[in-house]
Formats: sequence, C-alpha cells, structure tokens
Amino acid sequence: MTTEGEAFSNTVVSADQLPSLDTLVYEPLSPRYRTLNLAIAAAIFITLLVVVNFIRFQPFVTLPEGLLFAWPFVTTGLLALWGLLSVYHWLADPLLQFSLREQDLSVHKGLIFRSITCQPVLRIQHIELKRGPLERLAGLATLQVFSAGGAGHTFEIPGLPVAQAQKIRQFILDHKDVGAR
Amino acid sequence: MLSQQEAAVSTGVNWRRLAPVAVIYFIVSNVLSFIRQFIVVLSVLAWSASSFDYQQSFWFIPVMVAIFLATIVSGVVSYWFYQYRIRNEHIEIRSGLFRRRNINLPFWRIQNVKIEQPFYYRLTHYTVVVLDTAGSSGEEAKIVAVERDYAQQLRQAVLISGRQHQAGTTEDKTPEAVDTATSSLADDEKVINRRSLSDLIIHGLTNNRVWILLGALTPFYDEISGFVYDFVDDLGLSMDALFADQQVLWWQVGLYVISTMLLILSVMAMVSVAGSVITYYNYTLTRTSDRYIRRSGLFSLQEVSMRESRIQMISVRQDWLDYLLKRANFFFEQNKTGDKQEQELHATHKMLVPSVTLAEAQALATDAMPDNKVYQTGYSRISTRFISRWILTLALPACALVSAMGYAREGWHIFLITIPAFMLACAGIYLRWRRWGFACDDTYCYIRKGMAGIDRYSFALFKVQQVALTQSVLMQRRGLANVHFILASGSITIPYIPYAVATALADKALWHAESGRRSWM
Repeated sequence: MTTEGEAFSNTVVSADQLPSLDTLVYEPLSPRYRTLNLAIAAAIFITLLVVVNFIRFQPFVTLPEGLLFAWPFVTTGLLALWGLLSVYHWLADPLLQFSLREQDLSVHKGLIFRSITCQPVLRIQHIELKRGPLERLAGLATLQVFSAGGAGHTFEIPGLPVAQAQKIRQFILDHKDVGAR
Repeated sequence: MLSQQEAAVSTGVNWRRLAPVAVIYFIVSNVLSFIRQFIVVLSVLAWSASSFDYQQSFWFIPVMVAIFLATIVSGVVSYWFYQYRIRNEHIEIRSGLFRRRNINLPFWRIQNVKIEQPFYYRLTHYTVVVLDTAGSSGEEAKIVAVERDYAQQLRQAVLISGRQHQAGTTEDKTPEAVDTATSSLADDEKVINRRSLSDLIIHGLTNNRVWILLGALTPFYDEISGFVYDFVDDLGLSMDALFADQQVLWWQVGLYVISTMLLILSVMAMVSVAGSVITYYNYTLTRTSDRYIRRSGLFSLQEVSMRESRIQMISVRQDWLDYLLKRANFFFEQNKTGDKQEQELHATHKMLVPSVTLAEAQALATDAMPDNKVYQTGYSRISTRFISRWILTLALPACALVSAMGYAREGWHIFLITIPAFMLACAGIYLRWRRWGFACDDTYCYIRKGMAGIDRYSFALFKVQQVALTQSVLMQRRGLANVHFILASGSITIPYIPYAVATALADKALWHAESGRRSWM
C-alpha cells in the first residue's frame, strides 16, 4: 500500500539539509531531579547504616566474633557505595536532557555510556504520566511514551516539573498524527 | 451495510453450540493443560512408581476409572458451556464453567486467521479457527469446531473486513473479489513457494527440530530412557560390560565415547528430521493480493495467514551447516504482541519458510520488499575497533581468569588449553567482524551479520518505531557509535560505525518514518 497522495513529493534532499540528531537543542530536567535522587540514595544508605550500627552497638545480645569482625568493612563498604552513587548522580543527572521537535521527542543521557534515543510522534501508541510518592513530594513527573517497539523500549523522560510534563503530553496528544498509526 | 461474505458467515442473533466433535478437542486440550499444570506431581508419581507398586494397590483401578471419567466429563462440560455467534462483523464467544470468559472480537481487529486441523479431526471436515488480535498475547480466540468451508468463508470475510477498514471505508467495494471457495485455494491466491520432502530433511538436519518431538514426549521420558538403555545394552556398548574387566585401554574408552556420541547425534538428527517433516510436510506458501498464507503439517494441518503490510522485517538466517549446504531459513517477521518468548514455530509473529535455496530466498525477499538489494554487494564494514573491543573486554579477561585459577592447580599446563582457546576466540571475533555489514538505500536498510554462516536482515526505513544512538566514552573518543533501530518486530543494532554515519542513518530512518506518514501495520 503506497500512499501517493497529491501532497507527496520526492525531490532529492542532500544529507545536510535533513534535520539531524546531531544538532538537537536540549532542555534540562528540573534541578530537583538530582536533589531527589541524592536524597533517595541518602535515605537508603542512612537507613542501612543505622540498622548495621544498631545491631553492632545494641546492649541486648553479644554478637558472634564474625559479625564484630565484619562491622568495620560493612560500614566502610556502605559509605563507599553511597559516595560513589552520590558522585554518579551529581555528575550524570545534569547530563540527562530532552529535546522536542515538531515530529519527535529525544532523550540524551549518559556519563560513561552516552545514548540519544529518538521517538517519532507518529509512532506513539499511548502516553503515561507516572508519579510515584516521592516524585509527587518533589513535584516531579515521569513521562512515558509507548510505541509498538515493545516494553523494553519504552521511551521515558524522568524528572519533569509536573506542569511541563502535562504540557508535553498535551503537545503529543494535539499532534495530528497521534493515533494515525 | 453488510457485505455478501459477512452475510454468508453470519449466524444470526442466536447463540450456537459447536459440532459435537468438539468434545474430542476439549478433552485433548483439557488433558494437555492438566499435564502442563501438574507436570511436577505427575513426574514425582511416575518416579515413585518404581518403589511403590501402584498397580497392585486396591485403589488403582477405581482411581484410573475416575480420572478417565473426569476427562470425559470435563470435555463435555467445556463443550456444553462453549457458545458462539457471528454477526455484524463481530465474533462473540462465551466459554468456561467456573471462569466465564466473554470475547467480543470485531473482524477488523483480527490480525491473523489461522486454520488448524489437529490430527484427530483429520477424518472429519472440521477445523479449528484461531483468531489472533493485535492486542495482548492472551487475547486470542478459538472457534473450536467449524466445517472447513465455513472456516474458509469466515477467513475471507475477516480479510475483506480488514481490507475495507484499512481503506477507511465500510462500503461494499469488493463483492466479487472472493467467491465462497470450496477449493482449498481461493481465486486470487498464487503459490510462491513449496517445500519438498528433501528440503524438509535438509531442514531437519541443519536445524535442531528435536524439541518438537521432545515436547510431545515429556510424559514418557522414563520409559524412553529405559528403552534406550536396553537398546544400547543390546548393541554391546554397555558401560558395565566394558569396564567390568578393568584393563581398558585409553583408545577403547575414546572409541566408546566417539561411538556413543555418533549414536546420540544420529538419533538426534533422525528425531529432528522427523520433527521437521511432521510440522512442515507439504509446506505451501501462497499469497493473495495482500496476504501470505502458509499451509503445512503431516498429522495436524496448519494454515497461518499474515497480512503483507504487517511485515516489519525479513530475515534470512544461515548457520554454518546451512552455509555449507547453501540453504537458509527465511523469516517474515511481524509485530510482536506482548513480551512472550515464543518458539518460532508457534510464534504468530514470525513466518518461517524452511531451508530455502539462495535463489528462492532472493525471490521471497523481492516478493515481500520489491527492489530490495539484500543480496547485492555494497555492504559497508564496521570499524576494526569492534575486534579489539571484544578481545579486550571478553576474550582476554576470560582467558586470564581461567589461566590464573588453573595455574594454581595445574601449573603451566593450563596454558596448553587457555592459549589455543584464546586464539580460537580471537579468530571467532575476527570472523564476526568480517561478517558485519550494513547498507542503506532510499527505501530499505540492510544488515548482514554472523560468524560462520550469514544472517541477513532487511527492513523498510519508514517502519522504525524508535531510533537510538549509543556510545561509550572510549567510542566517543574514537568517533564511533552504535545505532539501534527499534521495530515492532524487535530491535536491531549496527555496532561500531563512525558517529557521522550512525547519525546519518538514524536521521534518514527518522525522516522516512516522519515524512512518509505511512502506517507501519
């Protein structure tokens, strides 16, 4: 089935006239996204550290030798992981950016492994705004876009301010091609 | 406005029961689902049968009779509670005693119509119609016993409805397009490929089709292994006999191992050939103006149809044995529904043409994608960094690890194993690099990969769902990137190509998808 309507033209386009992923202008996520991730990491690791140290120093039972020996290693290990994770979020989260064009959405991310994912609006099947309890607390939302590419390839923009996320969703819904398949 | 075909298959307002022969179908499927659910219990019972003599028990015969009656009753009950009607281009099915299931399926949402004839229907003219929808994987509907002619008519009606729906009109445009065919081929159908018995034997040899039979034989493993053991014993290959006199020479053991291996391999090959013949016997691929239809089967006949516009990608796969025999498996890949991993035979999203010759593969490729260049030269290589990347991150660390661990136990002898293994791995990586290739023209993208054999993939650029570029920090420094095309049939990657080329490919695919505004389904 070729749709050769009257609007169809096929003049030669030289490669540098095509819109390119290389020249996308990106917008940053909400700065609260990084804060939220750092806070979540802090909450998890502080809880773990409290539990470990409570077990170590509680006065009720005497601990076996092995656990006493392991305690300094476990504590430093947890601290080191917390540190690494925080540094990672500190550096990587600002690199997560998105870009909207007339016909597609793109997400750019990655500190060590960079990726640019581009989702044509024409191929979108449905959209979801996901807001977990912590995201609600921070006033953020995650925009999920589903195509026929399967669950492993759900396109996602996290850490958007709610108003902006709703605006983007509306932009997609208003796009004349959505649902055209 | 009802079309002629619709009127022909309509059953009116009243709910209908199936033909009584459906009881057999329900019994078989209930027994199968029972076995599938309680496979663990059953195997424990079978295993303990050797230590407990169930047969001698007072309860044995009553329990067997009860089980037998229960299967019959379950079949009759399933039959009794299954009702269907077809009207206004909707198929409605009510089924189930405890778990009522209501299905209301409009014709135009049906993606595939499969007509199956299980072996126990072979003497009748009844068939099972399986209706696949584009929705989730559990959402398929079966009409369990309908006459073959009616099944054909229903299929035609569904196809026409889908066609009209796609054209955006419900007007009755094609009243004469399909007559109510009583022959197995409709008027506008033409055969584009047949597989002969020798093709299927080659297919059985080159592809492991053992599981087709193994799957059917699961309940009988114990007996089979006992039988095999006795058989091997008769051949004089028994381990007990051989090692009874303790003076076996190393070459005797070697010979023993080799002959056992050969025996196992030849049995496997025979089973595989049998599996291939059973499923693909009399394989015929036909096409109508907008569909491919595959018919095959020795005992159970299968008829699967797939709309041409739903094909996302074609792939021609060849492993080393296929490569030597100059054969290939040709797949039409359709959109996947759900994330279920399916065996390729039952997978509704892939249609296989088994072990075609290269000329036939080309013909099929041209049929599905006119003017494609999948078999022409002009594939570009990927970067040689691909080789060093895999050697440094996989082959070298693995060999170093094994050497380090082995050195402690075996001393330097370990290098006699690890160094050749390392060389072999490097050779494999090199061969893989040599096979990697990609090309792109105005309509299609082509990808070639493999190690000993060659797999070729081709898809229309406008069918991409999503495009991604990825690169690691090191690749970024070298100006390299991977490009991933996500299609409805799965994703495909071209690794280690120059960043500019990757971007150009991604841009081109996006441009085709966005500017063409063509449907991918």
